[in-house]
Amino acid sequence: MRIVIAEDLYLLREGLVRLLSAHGFEIAAAMASAPELLEALVEQRPDVGIVDVRLPPTHTDDGLRAALQARAQVPGLPVLILSQYVEQLYARELLADRAGGVGYLLKDRVFNDEAFAAAIRTVAAGGTVLDPEVVGKLMTRRAEPVARLTPREREVLALMAEGRSNVAIAQRLFITEKAVSKHAAGIFDKLDLAPSDDDNRRVLAVLAYLDS
Amino acid sequence: MLFSTVLALTIGCIAFILAWAGHGNPRPDSLRGRIQARGWGLLLLPVAMAAAEMAGGARGLIPAELGLAVLAIVCAPKLAARLVPYGVLALAVFGFHLARAYHGNEVTSRVQYLFVHAGPAGQGHPALAPAQAAVLFVAGLWLLLRVDAPGAGLVRELAARWLDRRRGGISVVHALPLLLVVGVAMQLLGPGDWFGIRAVDGLDVAIIDLTLATAALVLIFRSRAWAATLAAAGLLVLGAYGWLIAVFWPGVDGFSYCFSDLANSSAPSPLWTDAFQGSLLLALGLWLAPRVMRYHLVEPLNLSDPELAARAQQLTRRVQTLTQTRRDAVDTAAAELRRIERDLHDGAQARLVAMGISLRAAERLFPTNPGAALALVAEARESSSQALTDLRDLVRGIYPPVLADRGLADAIRALALDVPLPVELDIDLPGAIELPVASAVYFSLAEALTNVTKHAGARSVRVQLSQSLLAGGGGLLRAQVTDDGCGGADPAQGTGLAGVERRLAAFDGILAVNSPPGGPTIVVIEVPCALSSPKTSTY
Repeated sequence: MRIVIAEDLYLLREGLVRLLSAHGFEIAAAMASAPELLEALVEQRPDVGIVDVRLPPTHTDDGLRAALQARAQVPGLPVLILSQYVEQLYARELLADRAGGVGYLLKDRVFNDEAFAAAIRTVAAGGTVLDPEVVGKLMTRRAEPVARLTPREREVLALMAEGRSNVAIAQRLFITEKAVSKHAAGIFDKLDLAPSDDDNRRVLAVLAYLDS
Repeated sequence: MLFSTVLALTIGCIAFILAWAGHGNPRPDSLRGRIQARGWGLLLLPVAMAAAEMAGGARGLIPAELGLAVLAIVCAPKLAARLVPYGVLALAVFGFHLARAYHGNEVTSRVQYLFVHAGPAGQGHPALAPAQAAVLFVAGLWLLLRVDAPGAGLVRELAARWLDRRRGGISVVHALPLLLVVGVAMQLLGPGDWFGIRAVDGLDVAIIDLTLATAALVLIFRSRAWAATLAAAGLLVLGAYGWLIAVFWPGVDGFSYCFSDLANSSAPSPLWTDAFQGSLLLALGLWLAPRVMRYHLVEPLNLSDPELAARAQQLTRRVQTLTQTRRDAVDTAAAELRRIERDLHDGAQARLVAMGISLRAAERLFPTNPGAALALVAEARESSSQALTDLRDLVRGIYPPVLADRGLADAIRALALDVPLPVELDIDLPGAIELPVASAVYFSLAEALTNVTKHAGARSVRVQLSQSLLAGGGGLLRAQVTDDGCGGADPAQGTGLAGVERRLAAFDGILAVNSPPGGPTIVVIEVPCALSSPKTSTY
C-alpha cells in the first residue's frame, strides 16, 4: 500500500515513516509543505495521504486545504488528516463530498500503532474514520433526525463513525455481529438512507449525524 | 528721600509675596497672610507718592495722598489693587504730556517727573521723561492683566487678536538681542551724567557696563524668556528714543546715539543716522515683541471657550476610561498567566514527571522482570496521551486553533457546532478583523453560548455576527446571541458576563444584555474594529 506523508516537524515525519514501514506500508513520498503535498497527491495518486493540518507556508490549516483541493481534483482520493486538535467543522468539510475515504485523527492516536494501521487500511478502502473525540462531541447533539435513534443505535453509529467494522463493534459492545447488522439497518432506516453499498451508507449515516 | 523709602518698602513687600507664592496659602490672620492679601494694592503707595510729587509736592498733599492710599490698602485691599494699574497708566500719560509740553516750552518752571527733572536743560535729560513714561505704560498694562482689573479682558482680547494663536517657544535667538540692548544703552549712558551721578572718569562707567553685561548674560542663560522680554522692551524704547532725538533734538552738541560716534567725532550726528538706527532697533523690537507677548499672555488653552471646555471634559473622561480599562486588561492578563502556569504545573508538567518515573522504573525492571517493565512503559505512554490532552485544552483556552487557522467567522462556526443545541448562524464579516479583537469577541461569544446551554434552558439559539462601516471611517463589529430560554440573566450577578464586559472594554467594546424574566435573552456585543480588505490566501 503506497502512502504519502506530509508533516513539517522532522522528528514526527521520520517517526511516522519508520512506524508505517514497520507495518509493511510503502512510503511513496514524505514532505514538509502543503504545495508539495498537493502535487504529490495529484500526481502520485497514493493509496492514502497522511496529512498534518498545520503545514507551511502559512502554518494555519494549509494541510487540510491541500487535501480538500486534491480530493476536488481526484474525487475520493483517500486522505487521513492528523492534527493536535479535532474540530467538527473540519470533519464536516472533509465529509462534505460524500465520497468516503476520509480519516480525521488526533496525532496521539499514532501511539496505538495497530489501531492506527487499521485506520489507514479503512480509509484506503473508502471508509470513514473519525477521532473518538469528534464523535464524542457529536454525541452531545440532540437534534433531528438523530434524536429518533435508540441509545444502542447511537452507540453503534458512534463506533461506525470511528471507522470500526461490524465485527469490531460487536466485540466492543459484547453483542453478536448479527445484532450489529440489525442496529445498522435500523439506523439507515431511521436516517432515510436508501439501500446501497454498505460502506457508502455508513459514511452517509455519519454525515446525517454531522448535519443534524 | 521719603519717596525712595516708600518705593523700597513697597518693592520689599511685593518681593516677599512673590517669594512666598509657591509655599501654599498662609493663614489669613498671620503677617504673611495679611501682606499677601494686600498684595498688589501696596503699589498704590508709591503711585500716590509720585502723583503728589508731580503735582508740585505742595505741603500737606503728600501726607494726604499717602493717607488715602493706606486707608484704601487696609480697608479695601481688592479695590486698592485694582486702582494700581490705572494709577500707573495715569502717571505714564502724564509723562507723555509733560514731554510734549516741554518740547513746546509751555512749562517754564522746573517740574519733577519720577527720577528726572524735566526742567530746563542742564538739569537732566528731558528725553528721559518719555522713556520713563513708556516704561510706566508697559508696567501699567502688565499690572492691569496681573491683578485682573476691569478692562483686563479687553486688553487680553486685543493682544490675542494682534498675536496669532500659534504658541511658539522662546529660544536663545530671541534672548540674544538683550546684549545689543545693553550695548546701546551703555553707549548712550556713556561717560558723563548718569541719573544725576556724575562719572568721575571712564572707570565708573566701565564697572557699570561690565555689571550690566554680566547680568544680561546670566539672564540669557538662566531665563531666556525674561531675557527676551527685556530685550524686546529695550529695543522698542531705544528705537523710539532714536526717533525722538532725530525729530526733537537734532544737532545737540556732544550727544551721540547708538553707533554714531564710533569715529569719536564730537560733531552732532546727522538726523537720518539717528532715525535709521532707531528704525533698525524698532524693527527688531517689533519682531521680538509679539513672540514675547505670546509667551507671556496667550494661555495654552483658553478653557472658557465652551468648545474647548467640552473637549477637555471629553478627554478627561477618556483618560479615566483608559486608565480603568488598562488596569483591567493588565489584571486579566496577569490572572490568565497565573491560570496557565497553574494548569501547566498541575497538568502536563506533572504527567511528564510521572512519565519519567515510569520509564526509569521500566529501565530498571527490564533485565529481571520484562513483563512488569512493559506495563510501566504502557503506563508512560498513557501519561503522555493525558499530557497531550491537558495541553490541548490549555491551548484552546489561550487561543482557539480554528481562530488561528481560519479567523473569526469559522471559529464561531466551529464553536456553534460544539453547542449541544440547534444554532442558527448568520455571519457576515466582509473585512479581516485584528487578532486581539477577534479573540476577545470569540471568548465573549463562547461565554454567552456557555450560559445559554447551562442556564437558559433554551431549545434553540441564534448567533448573528456582522461588520459595518462607521461614519468616522472605522468599522463596528456587532454580535448578537438570541435564545428562547427562560431569561433573567444579569451581568452584575456572577463573574462570566462581567468578565466579558471587562475583556471588551479594553477594545472600547460594550456588552448589552436584555433578559426579562421568562425570556427571551438577547446579548449584544459591539466592538470598534478597523475595516480592511478580506484576507485571501491560496496556492
